[in-house]
Amino acid sequence: MTAILETSSTTATMRRNFWSGVWRVMKRKPSRMVGAVLMLGFVFMGLFGPMFYPEQLDRDPNAITRPPSWEHWLGTDDQGRDVIALVVTGSQYVLLAALVTAVITVVLGTGIGLFSGFKRGRWDNVLMRFTDMKLTIPGLPLLLVLSTVWKFSSAVQMGLVLGLLGWGGVARAVRSQTLSLRERGFIEAARGLGLSTTHIVGKELLPSMAPYIAMNMLIAVTGGVYSQVGLFFLGVLPYESNNWGQMLNTAVFRSGALTVPSALGFLIGPLLAILLLTLAIVLVVDAMDEIFNPRLREE
Amino acid sequence: MKRLAAVVALLGLATATAACSGGSTNNSSGSGGGGGLFTTIDVNRPGIDASGPANPWAPKGNSFQGYNAMKLGWVKNHLTDPNQFYPGIAASWDIAPDNSSITIHLQPNGKWSDGKPVTADDVKLSLGLAATTGSTAFATTPGAAGVASEVEVVDPKTVKVTQDMGNPSSKFARGIMDSWVVPAHVWGSLLPADFWDKLEASRGTGADADKAREDILAIGQKVLAFAPPKDVSAGPYTLERVNPGEALLVKNKNFYNASNVAPAQVKFLNYSGNEQIWNYLTAGKLDHAGFTAAPTDVMNRIKNAPGSNIIKGFSPVAVGLAFNQSKKPYDNVHVRRGLAYLIDREQVTKVASPEGGTAAVTTSGIHQKPAQEWLGSEVSTLEPYKHDVAKAEAEFKEAGLQKKNGKWTLADGSPWKVSMHVPSGFSDWISAQENIKSQLIENGVDAEVITVADYPIYLEEIAAGKYDVGFWLIALGPAPYDIFQRLYGASNGWTNVAGKVAHSAPGKGGNWMGGAEEVDVEGAGKINPGELTAKLNAATPEEAKPIMLELAKAANQNLPVIQLWDYVNTQFTNTSRFTGWPEQDSDLLRLPAGVWIQLGLIKAKQ
Repeated sequence: MTAILETSSTTATMRRNFWSGVWRVMKRKPSRMVGAVLMLGFVFMGLFGPMFYPEQLDRDPNAITRPPSWEHWLGTDDQGRDVIALVVTGSQYVLLAALVTAVITVVLGTGIGLFSGFKRGRWDNVLMRFTDMKLTIPGLPLLLVLSTVWKFSSAVQMGLVLGLLGWGGVARAVRSQTLSLRERGFIEAARGLGLSTTHIVGKELLPSMAPYIAMNMLIAVTGGVYSQVGLFFLGVLPYESNNWGQMLNTAVFRSGALTVPSALGFLIGPLLAILLLTLAIVLVVDAMDEIFNPRLREE
Repeated sequence: MKRLAAVVALLGLATATAACSGGSTNNSSGSGGGGGLFTTIDVNRPGIDASGPANPWAPKGNSFQGYNAMKLGWVKNHLTDPNQFYPGIAASWDIAPDNSSITIHLQPNGKWSDGKPVTADDVKLSLGLAATTGSTAFATTPGAAGVASEVEVVDPKTVKVTQDMGNPSSKFARGIMDSWVVPAHVWGSLLPADFWDKLEASRGTGADADKAREDILAIGQKVLAFAPPKDVSAGPYTLERVNPGEALLVKNKNFYNASNVAPAQVKFLNYSGNEQIWNYLTAGKLDHAGFTAAPTDVMNRIKNAPGSNIIKGFSPVAVGLAFNQSKKPYDNVHVRRGLAYLIDREQVTKVASPEGGTAAVTTSGIHQKPAQEWLGSEVSTLEPYKHDVAKAEAEFKEAGLQKKNGKWTLADGSPWKVSMHVPSGFSDWISAQENIKSQLIENGVDAEVITVADYPIYLEEIAAGKYDVGFWLIALGPAPYDIFQRLYGASNGWTNVAGKVAHSAPGKGGNWMGGAEEVDVEGAGKINPGELTAKLNAATPEEAKPIMLELAKAANQNLPVIQLWDYVNTQFTNTSRFTGWPEQDSDLLRLPAGVWIQLGLIKAKQ
């Protein structure tokens, strides 16, 4: 009984230490706090943002592609709708697709990398050759071809395809980490104790790589945003007026944002969203790096 | 030091840019007009293909209409008369009163750029080459354009072309005059000696005719791919060089009207999208650009560019929201009428095509300008379908639709969503559909916009009946038959082959509109609009007028499409370097600027 109490007390202490460590890391560079706030802001925007607007956005046909004003901080689009409203309502598709992309990228990449690195031998050869082959296929041209046959009408479909195309790099990196870790003493010991492969991979290897995987996942979110926004910008995906990529396309090719200043707000809106999301992720990854890597701590 | 280095680098860049810009601007050649470099773009062809041949039939060729590519005559696209032309290779022409033949008199001093004269043999060969590509009067399977039965060289400067009167067309002469002419001494090897016999044989039936048609199509493929070793042109210019950034043409001193051709050189700039053209225009770089859609702010900026001179005129085309009437609820005329009342066309046009279109005053199937000519005061008797939500609701109720919780549903209570399709590159159409979608949703009709990869796929899928609703170009004048065949032609079930009209059931033979074969028209009773349209093909203007009125009434009452806006032909010119541009509303605006130059209108600014 005493032992159990001691164990839970130790865990609680460790948790407290962890969070105080996180707080210290965040405090050391205020930019990281900004990153975290931005990240929370995007999560909030994706989850609840559209609820603040009617399903059919207000529009004014007499005020199409107007520059920023008090009423419309980033101006209006080519239908006379508020650009910020479009960015917010469009965030759900963009962020959900990016999240699905990241999850699939990480789950597939980690699974294949771990299995390949831990098993080695024939499985490693087969899986890595397959990974190499996948890595040689250029993503954008393939997506362009796929977009002619697949309409990507839902964010999940979009994320699924992007995820299936993007796991190669993560698999390679996770495999090399696994190869390095499996030679370490604690894995040798686990093997010596006769623990099952599932236990070794699930309880010993994976936790050691979790921070690395989590960082990869965040970076995959940016990759997912860039890819889908790029496809919408190129106009190869079905029209969604509030998708950030479609907004960029409309601003440049229909409203002349690169020719006249009145459409600049329309261009800046989605650009700013993408920029801030990337910034948030970079800053949070920077903080995570230090949190999980004690050697980087300056204290 | 750093600043100095930057200045030096910038100066170096400026010199390099100037060196790259190429082409002398004041190097006058030829005998008249004042010289200078004329800078333009080919609005019909984004992306210059540096390896494209100087071949007017090649889709990616570097033959520029009116500049180094010549036609027998230049079609004026008169409001009502399809057979009016400006001279080209032909100096004059005589059309038989019954349209049975056209006798063409070539420019007496017409020469190719290599100095050889332009002869009737060149014209005959060119008409033969046109036959292999199946264009207009030379189709091997004749449609509604009439067919040339005989091409006769009367003398070295005169050609007579006869129409097969078994299937006459009032625009036969137009089909002939609207033909490219290329030199026989360069292109002659493409046609075999027995070509004209083959062409004759191809018009029959049976195995021999099939074989002849196959042979002709095979020659056509060679014609499309032919690359003359050097551009030999009878136009005011010849192709000097092409690179991916620009095509340079120099003045042809042997052109029949060379003394009145002002620019010594013409440069076609490459572009891949409208925004590049806008930037060229706002910088005052172009002397001329054809119609390019532009938002109002961009248009205002272009207007403010130094020397900017925008000329507007009539463009014989309109756009309509077309229905697949074999799909519910669009089979019900009251639903179509309800939508016509619900959609505010003024608003759609303002958002989608503020500078390139005017909201349609009604649906008549005819562009409003020629509608006045064809229908006169009867235009006012047509229902204008002014934006009226109450009338729309009344029509929907008449159709049996139900309104539940502010949303319209089908008669059986199942959801109704207006799914509009549009090709993804057509920005004004997308903008219009987005606006219509908003208007409909605001009034309780659920709607969506679905983009399709490109226009050919769009046409393929719409013809296959895959869409409920889509945009459709209509009123393609000036020939009356052409105007109404967009509503009552193949897309609505009527095919006109060799003068015989047949009707296919909805979903078959390209019939995607699925309208009724006979419609009840107030004041005219039951009419067969497809057969009436076919009659227009051979009708004189006077005969055509009452038919046009019946068809306009049918279109107005039955609404196979809702006419949204009529296009406006907007031409961008610049007076900084050249003058003599056509007047506002001139029929020349419907022809390329190369024609303006070759007719001697354009002068260098003194």
